[in-house]
Amino acid sequence: MKRTHILILEDAPVIREGLKFIMDSLRNVEEVAIACTFDEFTHLLKRKSYQMVLISPNYLHSHHNQIQQLRNLYSSMKWIGVQYTIIPEALLSKLDGVVDVYDNQDTLATKLSKWLDTQSDDALQNKDILSERETEVLRLLAMGKSNKEIADELNISTNTVITHRKNISQKTSIKSVSGLTIYAVTQNLISLDDY
Amino acid sequence: MNSKNDIHPDSKLAEIIINHPYVILMLEHFEILLPVQDLTIKQICEKYNINETIFIAFTNLYCNKKGIPALKLTADDAVSITRFLAASHRYYSELIYPEIMQLIEDMSKQNNHREMKLVSVFFADYFKEVTTHLDYENQIFHPYVNCLVARDKGVEHVENQVDYSVSQYQVRHDDIEMKLADLKNLLIKYLPTYNDQLIRRKLLFLLSELEFDLNIHSKIEELILIPLAIELENKNIVACK
Repeated sequence: MKRTHILILEDAPVIREGLKFIMDSLRNVEEVAIACTFDEFTHLLKRKSYQMVLISPNYLHSHHNQIQQLRNLYSSMKWIGVQYTIIPEALLSKLDGVVDVYDNQDTLATKLSKWLDTQSDDALQNKDILSERETEVLRLLAMGKSNKEIADELNISTNTVITHRKNISQKTSIKSVSGLTIYAVTQNLISLDDY
Repeated sequence: MNSKNDIHPDSKLAEIIINHPYVILMLEHFEILLPVQDLTIKQICEKYNINETIFIAFTNLYCNKKGIPALKLTADDAVSITRFLAASHRYYSELIYPEIMQLIEDMSKQNNHREMKLVSVFFADYFKEVTTHLDYENQIFHPYVNCLVARDKGVEHVENQVDYSVSQYQVRHDDIEMKLADLKNLLIKYLPTYNDQLIRRKLLFLLSELEFDLNIHSKIEELILIPLAIELENKNIVACK
């Protein structure tokens, strides 16, 4: 299982801190960030990528629509409910899973590895190595081409280009085009003459 | 009930700084200079005329304690917050960004790999973007907040900013931290080295310090100032336009 970043949205301090304490102790969990309010939650989501979010039942009820919108936006993330009151079936069906406040450390560890391992076996196997297609996309991107131009050149859809770009950024930890250009030069994918 | 690690009005500032040296950055943004002797937060706030609630909330952020409590703030607090943010902007544009730029130049002299030329261009372009971002806040958004405050206090003759609103700022408020993280990753993982370890370390320390400060800066803008400005806007939206 890869190193996991988790974000918890929970307004009850005891539950929030308890979840963080147990999650922090799990192997392969790199960071457990906490948001006490919905604004803070969206703020953190914008700034960093997480593999999993845990959301309290209060927010599942009160911010139902906003959570659905965010879920569409961050679809590769696992959306998990925290259960300590009954969560209606209609809300449950829209989540990837539920942790129960009565779960012990072992149960949580098993659940987490189940959710995250099924996430992307291919990505895990080639964790940090760019695929041939990703390398092509990166080379064209570094040469200043737009998503549309790259799509036309490689005969793929713009959405596929966007997915490749997301994967490239995740694998290299570099998000901006200018930063990726420097990366491409360090890896000899383009020469300074192309730039 | 307060826990022993909580920051409260009677906490001594010097003790907090010893454990969390980045609090010094916050003090500079409040225009408070060291030394602080044995003054408590309450005494410092009285001396510099700063709202204690804001001071404690910001100190918690700089001490890396998670979460921002729901703050009950007034129009006057909006002015203190914009003053704090404006002082931070001066620190960014006049001190830390030029210092980083200088270190990159020094590193390019030590390490003449072709990639270093690109790094200099990358940072110069990024600094231009940051300057545009800060200028917009200094020239448009902060004066608008001050206009909202003046209206809230019943001042009659306030220069109007017609057709402007907090929502326009929210749409425009972009992320200036991403390229800093990119540069850190390039330095840590990819850029070939040549006799530059010392400068590289100094550069990474400065970048990390700036990243930490900018992260809190944007939290203050998005989670404290924007909600407060919206509240003021709703109170006197007709009066200010």
